Amino acid sequence: MDRNQLMKWIKAPTKMAHKYSLNAVYFCTGCGVIEVPPTITSRWDAERFGVVPTATARQANLFLITGYVSVKTLRAIIRTYEQMPEPKYTVGFGSCTINGGMYWDSYNTINQLDKYIPIDGYIAGCMPRPEAIFVAVTHLWTLIDKDMADGYKRYRKNYAAYRANQEMILGEMEWPPIFQTEVATAITEREG
Amino acid sequence: MRILWFVLSPLMALAVGLFFLGLSRRFMARIQWRVGPPLYQPLIDILRQFTQKSVSHGPLFDLGVVLSLASSFIVVLFMPLGGTAPLSSSGGLLAVLYLMLLGPLGIALSGGEAANPNVSIGISRKLILAVGYEVPFLMIVLALMTYYGTISIGEIVAAQRESASAIASFPLVFSGIAYLLILPAMLGVRPFEVVGAAQEISSGPAAEYGGPYLALATIQHGLTMFIGISLFVNLLWGGASNPVVFFLKMLVVFAFGFWVNAAFPRLRVEQAVRYLWRWPTLIAFVGLILVATIGR
Repeated sequence: MDRNQLMKWIKAPTKMAHKYSLNAVYFCTGCGVIEVPPTITSRWDAERFGVVPTATARQANLFLITGYVSVKTLRAIIRTYEQMPEPKYTVGFGSCTINGGMYWDSYNTINQLDKYIPIDGYIAGCMPRPEAIFVAVTHLWTLIDKDMADGYKRYRKNYAAYRANQEMILGEMEWPPIFQTEVATAITEREG
Repeated sequence: MRILWFVLSPLMALAVGLFFLGLSRRFMARIQWRVGPPLYQPLIDILRQFTQKSVSHGPLFDLGVVLSLASSFIVVLFMPLGGTAPLSSSGGLLAVLYLMLLGPLGIALSGGEAANPNVSIGISRKLILAVGYEVPFLMIVLALMTYYGTISIGEIVAAQRESASAIASFPLVFSGIAYLLILPAMLGVRPFEVVGAAQEISSGPAAEYGGPYLALATIQHGLTMFIGISLFVNLLWGGASNPVVFFLKMLVVFAFGFWVNAAFPRLRVEQAVRYLWRWPTLIAFVGLILVATIGR
């Protein structure tokens, strides 16, 4: 952890601030909700690294999605992700966000979360221990340092593809595309 | 010298307010047997928030935050922070009473534009809570103004320096106790954390703030804490002859407020108002009657 190195703060203050002030929205979909409270309270104390839970998406810059994602939840996840101010980072927590995990042939869960919103990193396991969240945070620091945590840029660039994937699984979506791309314009015209 | 204080006192309020925000997180962490974030964590947060892109919900959404922040800075100018107040000759306590309401009002104007139900609930709770603590607060201020025969904060501080501080003198001790009882409500900490209840109404009025708006709202929160504590130190604890002593006195009051914050759970809003209108109001009223009958 290089939080106390003054030279790095002078060189890249923005990057350092984004690294050490990760305000997280914990999207506990079902499993994983047990691992998060010990992480943020006295047992593991994530606040000493600047990782704090926030109540609303507007105040956050880290999105932690724990466990399987059902189709209904996906709608809420996409809305939450789109409400977060940029730059924003997403971490999938548990095998279910990677490939569906034990729910891979379920009728109402999605398999790859990365198809619908960009994921910057995954924590494998079913379920991972709370320590794994800290491992993920340190990896995320490295990614931010190397400008590789660029999920929000990918979302902007490939928004048409993401939106198409979202519509494939959700059908009609009740909010307009947030970025103006050619496909997005087409969708707006189609829906009048 | 006064010109210098015009620049110095807002800067001091900003620095001390941010320090208090960091210290409160550290303080709570230590009480809960955690390590806690570094003291400069609010600075990191504010730097992060200023560099994020956020949406605006309209012109009033932008201006409300600025209004609230500006009014907080102006209230600071009325405070003698261990010296002379920059605006000591104009208005005094009466102006402070009015201007203190502009802070929550600005946030209310700004949040109303966002049309988020959590924000509306938070704002209504803030106004209800303000009605709750303004009644005893007005009685305390009235007792002080009657006792010392002045509306100027500077003169009250000077009068306390000649004799004992207000909280240690007989009829005003009631006002002092009443102020200590409403202090957590004025600071917005538990058990009166009904406004920004994160688990209940998604941090209330700040629910729609992201990026720079949240940074400004955080600074405003720090200033509100600074104003609430420095009013107590000035009016009831005799102020100070230099900023360092003033800051140390503020630290003691701050520690009291956050000890209460750590020890008590959150009240419901109607329980909070019932409490505020019972014990602090009663004690403040007794103090006011005593001051009016006995006098100096």
